[in-house]
Amino acid sequence: MTSTTRQGRRGAFNAPRRPRRFHPTWHFWFALPAIILVLAFFLVPFLANAGFAFTQWTAYSSDITWNGFENFRTLADLGVLGHAVLITLVYAAVSMLVQNVGGLFLANALQEPTRVNNVFRAVFFIPVLVSGLAAGYIWAALLAAQGPLNQFLSAILPGGFVYSWLGNPVSALVAVAFVDAWKWVGLAMTVYIAGLNAIPKQLFEAAALDGAGPWRRFWKVKVPLLAPAFSFNVVIGIVGALSSLDIIFAATGGGPGDATTVLQVASYRQYGQGLFGTASALSLVIAVIGVVIAIPLISALRRREVRL
Amino acid sequence: MSTTSPMQASRLQQTLKYIFLGIFAVPWVAVPLWMLLVNSFKTEGESSVLSLALPTEWAAVENYTKVFTEGNYFVGLGNSLLIAIPVVVVVLILGSMAAWAYARSNAMGLRVTFFISAMSIMLPPAIIPTIFILTKIGLQGTTWGYMLVLTATKVGVIIFLAVGFVRTLPTDYEEAAQLDGAGRLRTYWHVILPLMRPVLFTGAVMLVIGVWNDFLFALFLLAGKANATLPLTLYSFALAPTGAVRWNLVFASVVMTSIPLFIAYVVLQRRVLSGLTEGGTTG
Repeated sequence: MTSTTRQGRRGAFNAPRRPRRFHPTWHFWFALPAIILVLAFFLVPFLANAGFAFTQWTAYSSDITWNGFENFRTLADLGVLGHAVLITLVYAAVSMLVQNVGGLFLANALQEPTRVNNVFRAVFFIPVLVSGLAAGYIWAALLAAQGPLNQFLSAILPGGFVYSWLGNPVSALVAVAFVDAWKWVGLAMTVYIAGLNAIPKQLFEAAALDGAGPWRRFWKVKVPLLAPAFSFNVVIGIVGALSSLDIIFAATGGGPGDATTVLQVASYRQYGQGLFGTASALSLVIAVIGVVIAIPLISALRRREVRL
Repeated sequence: MSTTSPMQASRLQQTLKYIFLGIFAVPWVAVPLWMLLVNSFKTEGESSVLSLALPTEWAAVENYTKVFTEGNYFVGLGNSLLIAIPVVVVVLILGSMAAWAYARSNAMGLRVTFFISAMSIMLPPAIIPTIFILTKIGLQGTTWGYMLVLTATKVGVIIFLAVGFVRTLPTDYEEAAQLDGAGRLRTYWHVILPLMRPVLFTGAVMLVIGVWNDFLFALFLLAGKANATLPLTLYSFALAPTGAVRWNLVFASVVMTSIPLFIAYVVLQRRVLSGLTEGGTTG
């Protein structure tokens, strides 16, 4: 409704639209620089990646030739492909989960902009500012076998506690995913606070008058209305985790063994060896995972936008 | 403010909440920061113990001097500033221009490019073809190429945030400016840009954090010590020769690479958080 009236009003300023001919209005010229950049350095590489993944392309020859699924076969034979996919999915899932549970919890506790709350918000936002490398180094030190965490555990547990958190494949993977979440939970918190602030207060009051307790109000009123903030955090969390590399480089270097070698790290390794074809293949896998996760969530976001 | 429970119960609840949050903040934020700082003041041998204790022998001056001399720090700082500032400014301008156009147009072509821009935030970047393109145009490994790619991959964030914001603005101001004879560029600069300030501030915060800390693109797209940004100087310094990690130097280097953003945060903290929590993020 509103959009048609708006369009009608705007019509007074634009040349009448002639069908089937390209008559750029000012809109086009204003968007053009951004369009060129996005097409040249996002869309084209994104599409080209799908092509390069099926080519024989190395640093040792200037020829790029098609080789079908050869890159994927090579990676599968090396045991890199399936393993890296699995590691990446676990990493993204753990990180996204911790980020959102933590962010939602903090947002609920700190929604009101009181003075104390503002101090706490500021404190919990600090890790967002730290670079991924810095986060990786700090936590590698905290989690070291003789490090502060184990010193603390030794103090409260009988008989001392020595465990190499980053030395065991499973705990190392969970630990680096946790560091990723640690770094981003402050941002998820702010997005959820913004979401909570966008909910009209009357809705809670109405629900309370209708006899809904705090728990019911949380699940039946807050959670559904927080859906846009939720989708935003989930997509950004997962996509961020998919291209995460710095935390892992700093904390484990991809090890122990290849326990934390996510796709992005594996791709960098192939690239580092001059194997651009296989590196592209791994990059394509990241892109496909991203598309499969992001598209349904984006369309859900857009549907909601229309409704609101 | 909106609590419905009786006063006393809610006060007790509040107190318990803050005690809990305080206890939570200790391992979550205080211990990591303390770990970082205190170990950056220790000697190499003492820092390798990785404890939270105060140094028995202070080596702060030596450590930080090493970061400045061996760690390539000022080159990294200079490059980071020379890259981050123009990139953020250009992204804000190009993004807000495009956002205004997208918000006020229903043309099919623009709807498609808006969708692609929104996708660019949500999908992981394809780095190897990017390198291919930069190599073709002779910019691979250079600061210019890196800045171009950063600008292109970040502009979507501003477009996405600002389009949602502009759509909620009435068109009256722009129309008044047009009637007064202002051209599109003047209207943009004097009317639209000031109106967008809150959402652009929010966007700028996210941009600065993302650009300043970028390691992924920097690793692939920047070559050579002379072009290194702070994350790259930190990484190469931490990797440096001997094999064993020199924790005191790594931490001193982490402190120095984080400090510029921290100073900005301390100065702007209130605006940063109120911008992020009230403005546009859900737009």
